[in-house]
Amino acid sequence: MEPLNDHELNRLLKQWSAPAAPASLAQRVLPRHTNWWQWLYHGTIRVPVPVGLAILALLAAFLFFRAPLRVAGPPAARTTVSLSDFQPVRQLEPRVVGRIHEGK
Amino acid sequence: MTDTEFRAAFEQHKDAVYRFAWRMSGSEEAAEDIAQEVFLTLLARPERFDPARGALRSFLLGVARNLALKKWREQHRWVDLDEEAIELPPASFEKLDTSEAVGAAVHALPLLQREALILAEYEGLSLEEIAQTVGAEIGTVKSRLHRARENLRHALAPLKRENTTRTGEAWNR
Repeated sequence: MEPLNDHELNRLLKQWSAPAAPASLAQRVLPRHTNWWQWLYHGTIRVPVPVGLAILALLAAFLFFRAPLRVAGPPAARTTVSLSDFQPVRQLEPRVVGRIHEGK
Repeated sequence: MTDTEFRAAFEQHKDAVYRFAWRMSGSEEAAEDIAQEVFLTLLARPERFDPARGALRSFLLGVARNLALKKWREQHRWVDLDEEAIELPPASFEKLDTSEAVGAAVHALPLLQREALILAEYEGLSLEEIAQTVGAEIGTVKSRLHRARENLRHALAPLKRENTTRTGEAWNR
């Protein structure tokens, strides 16, 4: 079969059209603009596993050393006495106790 | 590269990059993946583009070319990139329209011939720009382009007869 000449080939090549870039490409490539308050609702933070584990370990250590275990026990006895602890007697009831067997 | 500059570059070159990737891969899905990767590369490492070495379009097409080559290599591990043979049975044209037949013929070209032809014929790059894009000598590009066109002259020859018999008029009027 006789091959095409330059003109014929060029004319044929022009007939092969390609589609334009789809709209989904822009969604995949262009960074989206969001307000900071929207980010608070929908944002994510990517943390590398070693960093995440280190943060957890530090948090655990902080909680452990900040609140040591307290063993419940009797309150410590007071060793000092103040004068304010002494109150005057409100009603004096004197009672005389004599010798019962004095005459004997 | 600022956000505005990146958006401008994307708007200006997205179609060329996508078209090239589509023609190279023959798949819309692969073309979109390649185009996405191209622009994300520009966003992540803009210092890779040196304006002194060529236009941004050539740079982006070069990145797309490397990605397309990588994808092709994953699927055709043992095939020579610059293989001379072109396998396109003339009978296959009967079920295709002219545009599809041309696409099938171009897609049947060896990869290095195909990229040279697409960059020259469809993206309008000069021999020097193609050489920069594909990282080859100008003479090598010229040779690949010549062989691509020779292959297509024979592969598409049945279309000459098809068009003549279909329309009943001289094809090359």
